[in-house]
Amino acid sequence: MNSALWVSKTGLSGMDKQLNVVANNLANVSTTAFKKDRAVFEDLMYKTVRAPGGLSAQNAELPSGLQLGTGVKVGATQKDFSNGDYNMTDRQLDVAIQGKGFLQVLMPDGTIGYTRDGSLQLNSEGQIATSGGLVVEPGIQIDPNAIEIMIAEDGIVSVRMSGEADAQEVGAINIAGFINPTGLSASGQNIFTETNASGPPLVGVPGTDSLGTLAQGMLEASNVNSIEELVNMITTQRAYEMNSKVISAADGMMSFAIQQL
Amino acid sequence: MDKALYLAMSGGVQTMNAQTIHANNLANVSTTGFRSDFEQARSMQVYGDYHPSRVYAMTENPATRYTQGDMIQTGRDMDVAVAGEGFITVYDERGQEAYTRAGDLQINAAGQLVTGRGLPVAGVDGPIFLPPLDSINITSDGSISIVPQGGAGNEVAVLNQIKLVNPDTENLRKEEDGLIHSRDGQAFELDPNVKLVSGFVEGSNVNAVEEMTHIMNLSRRFEMNVKMMDTIRENANSSARILQRTS
Repeated sequence: MNSALWVSKTGLSGMDKQLNVVANNLANVSTTAFKKDRAVFEDLMYKTVRAPGGLSAQNAELPSGLQLGTGVKVGATQKDFSNGDYNMTDRQLDVAIQGKGFLQVLMPDGTIGYTRDGSLQLNSEGQIATSGGLVVEPGIQIDPNAIEIMIAEDGIVSVRMSGEADAQEVGAINIAGFINPTGLSASGQNIFTETNASGPPLVGVPGTDSLGTLAQGMLEASNVNSIEELVNMITTQRAYEMNSKVISAADGMMSFAIQQL
Repeated sequence: MDKALYLAMSGGVQTMNAQTIHANNLANVSTTGFRSDFEQARSMQVYGDYHPSRVYAMTENPATRYTQGDMIQTGRDMDVAVAGEGFITVYDERGQEAYTRAGDLQINAAGQLVTGRGLPVAGVDGPIFLPPLDSINITSDGSISIVPQGGAGNEVAVLNQIKLVNPDTENLRKEEDGLIHSRDGQAFELDPNVKLVSGFVEGSNVNAVEEMTHIMNLSRRFEMNVKMMDTIRENANSSARILQRTS
């Protein structure tokens, strides 16, 4: 059959995946600390029908060969870890990370997950947890009588009890950095997990080793640029249409041959 | 039956090959740094003991178009695009130097600078390995300077330089891996005049309208070949009728 059909099919499925990525970015335009994805396209291998330099006659050499490309694929999706905008919320348990680090949370299976979503809460046992209910590591217990919680730039958490003038320290939030954050695996709920590609986490006190500092009363917004995504959507849609046009042209050729012969 | 039928058939088959080349160009209309392929047909005459009246068509792709693609602004500091002529040098799967225009760079787990496809980027002093870093800056000549992790903003270390080349396009050939290779297998020398722009990636240089026009043109050419086959069959039928014995 006409191989242009299969080549255009790869184009259609690539554009379909790209649209999926764009749609997901746009859907998460308001998700706290969401990091946008980018589809990385790569051309597939080429099929050499005739190598250049082959002989066309006993002493005549072909100057150029015939290599047919086999299409395109989405080789990877790449997370862009650039920082989003910071929004003031003035809520005591909202923290934003100004820098590259991640908060560590304890996953239900006992492993550590990493997130930049700092809209923290207290769970029923008084522990600091994410809005998804995952306890922040190392665990920090807040006394139910505390009237004010303070989170310092370097992660020290202190509380002021009712009727007391001085605050007392109750724990510290550590943050983790990665050499290749793009290699982290996104597992939804704003959580990332470590992979071989991301390298091991470098855990430290906020503010050291440029992991970033914590800012209380702020939240990091999504880093999706909606205009950019809309432009991506337009180009994706048109590319999709053009590839489907090739399929109908190839189909027309075959059907013409069938009818005529 | 007349051999003309086979001539028309070869025309149709070669048209389908040409169609595939254009379909591949269109499929890669969004591939970073993709360079579109040309297609042409060559007439191949068949010689023998008789009059050389048979000329078959043969499709080939003589070259790749090396014009600049669109510059797409991303703002990411590890995205680089070559402004004007030139190529970024990478190592292919066999470890040999190959050339690409796709500059969506990233760092892998080993700390090596690789392209979006995962191919290691070649530096002037061999492969480029980076220590844990706070920020990276790729200058217009391909020099990589970083602020190491935990370093102050003024502790800038210059590490290596991306090998940028600008060979004569006559010496280039796209191979099966989709990368550009030198025709004679010799690696090219660093060219200090090639300029990189950081924060941009270069799109594909496929001209979608042109490809669509070629595809329409090729569809019609295919139909003409099929029409020829039909005519040849009619001729054969007519001659068969004349020679039929009337009983």
